[in-house]
Amino acid sequence: GVFAHLELLEARAYEAAVKQEETEQQEEKLARLKARVQELRLQRDELRAKVEQQQKGQLGKEGAVLNPAQPSARAVLEWKMKSLKAKLQIFYLTGISGKLTKRGVCFCISTAYEGTYLDSYHLDLLTKPEVQIYRHSVPIFIPLQQIAKKYLQTDIRRFLSVLSNHLNAYVGRRYQADQLQEHFSGHIEGTLQRNSLCNLLVFNYNVSSESKTFPFKVRLLYGDPCCSLPTEAVISCTPGAPPSLAEMAAAHSDLFRRVPLHKAFRSFSSSGE
Amino acid sequence: MDETVAEYIRRTVLKIPRDEIKPMLQKWGFLSEAQIETVNFRQMKENISQDVVQLCEENSADIKQAAVLDIIYNNIYPNKRIWSVYQMNKTGEETEFFDLTDFKKKFKRRLRSALKNVTINFREYEDNAIWIRIAWGTPYKNPNQYKTSYVVYHSQTPYVFISASVLRSNLPLLCQALVVASNYRDIHEMELRSHSLNSLKDIVFKRYSQNFQTYCPRPLPERNVAPETVDSRIIQENRNEKERIQRLNRQVFGDGPQPKIEFAQYKLETMFKSDPEMDVLDKKEPFRCLVKFSSPHLLESLKSLAPAGMADAPLSPLLTCIPQKARNYFKIREKKGLLPGSFVSP
Repeated sequence: GVFAHLELLEARAYEAAVKQEETEQQEEKLARLKARVQELRLQRDELRAKVEQQQKGQLGKEGAVLNPAQPSARAVLEWKMKSLKAKLQIFYLTGISGKLTKRGVCFCISTAYEGTYLDSYHLDLLTKPEVQIYRHSVPIFIPLQQIAKKYLQTDIRRFLSVLSNHLNAYVGRRYQADQLQEHFSGHIEGTLQRNSLCNLLVFNYNVSSESKTFPFKVRLLYGDPCCSLPTEAVISCTPGAPPSLAEMAAAHSDLFRRVPLHKAFRSFSSSGE
Repeated sequence: MDETVAEYIRRTVLKIPRDEIKPMLQKWGFLSEAQIETVNFRQMKENISQDVVQLCEENSADIKQAAVLDIIYNNIYPNKRIWSVYQMNKTGEETEFFDLTDFKKKFKRRLRSALKNVTINFREYEDNAIWIRIAWGTPYKNPNQYKTSYVVYHSQTPYVFISASVLRSNLPLLCQALVVASNYRDIHEMELRSHSLNSLKDIVFKRYSQNFQTYCPRPLPERNVAPETVDSRIIQENRNEKERIQRLNRQVFGDGPQPKIEFAQYKLETMFKSDPEMDVLDKKEPFRCLVKFSSPHLLESLKSLAPAGMADAPLSPLLTCIPQKARNYFKIREKKGLLPGSFVSP
């Protein structure tokens, strides 16, 4: 009918209009790009001329092709990139990086433990009127305010270093406790008692001696907040245990204070204890 | 088994959604797997709960074990209660070595020394959260198991989350016990309340997404690359404005999900500013007014106000400071500048 015909015409007109619009846009884009190419060619020519002039200038003075005191643009760029890469490498290794913001600096402290990269924490600092922490993502149980009170105003590098030590030690302790629960849950009797800072761990594990198993109760106290090894490792056994066990307890206590927790347990399983 | 315990277990099971009853009973661990298998979980909930009570009867459940089931239920459905945040202060600066056994002992001792009739249960969770359930009684009445207070505490933090029951008279005693057990000096209530416990934790533990500027490579946010309208003759007139609003929004709210709070309350004690000729009030005294914003998810709705065109960007800092100041109850008094007074510094 008429309406169907009208609809058809309308659709055709619409399609044609859209197509026309598209081609117009394409042409516009092409024109813009051509203009840009011209611009860049001009720039290139200018730079080439500059370089040639410099080289001619040198030739005129000393007869050498290049004066090392005035490196080419390319050399400067390469040097810049190298130094930037080196800086980024340092940041990656130390774990502290910063970026200037409108009102101060934003630091990012990345933590790691024995080659495994763990969490990153941020600090947004204001530098005027005095250095202060605007906001941060440091866990609440890390004594940030205490550390800031001591060092933030006077020695910001020290502040970051101390904070980084606290954070790295914390994630290190947490990592060890997590590894213990994940991979050595068979060795542990009952639950592993821990806390937010992971600076006190209490648990029981079994040791075998003379083909019998005995429970050891361990209390690991991490007295130094910047250290991921315990300062105290108290091991107690049941009263009726054989005397050889006391020696083993002393040896284990020493081991826990020297070696990461999960590595200590790995050595237990491998030596077949 | 005590009739009151039976009734309590029956009512607790009735609260649990049908599909969750079996997993929760398994988590509870009081009934054996074999016993749980005997229950038909497809029958009416009334009957399910009767069966469970029967099994508990076989195992002679007491109120302590029934209380554990209640903790598990409240831990999975914490949003059914309203939670307040309390902050504790310490004197010393020494490192804390939080000992859980020590904490529980001190807490129970303090509470029981003041009130003999009280049921106390603890349960620890993977995220270092300690849940405490307290049912309060009086010297002459047994503890009321239906009017319980819940406390959630993360060790070595100064924040405590309390969902007190109607009996607010026991609150000072509860606060005292917490302070003593956790080795702090005092405790006060913050102006921060919500149904969403996890969101309250996000706010005070600063776990919500704050947009920090760093060099860490992040995937660029997806812009509207593909035009939504097929017709290329339609042009976005306000594209610049839209982009400005998006940018400001991201700066203020960050990229991630917002903590979930349901209301913000502003108590105004400011002078009414009217046309001097239209002297509405005879006396020049502060115009007391209470403004309350409610929403199923207040911060998300604030975040979408400017993009939806309902408010100008940037939004008032009174609204956007909620997560950073960790409060959703404000008192605004007259101050010299444009900034409202009486903000508690974090």
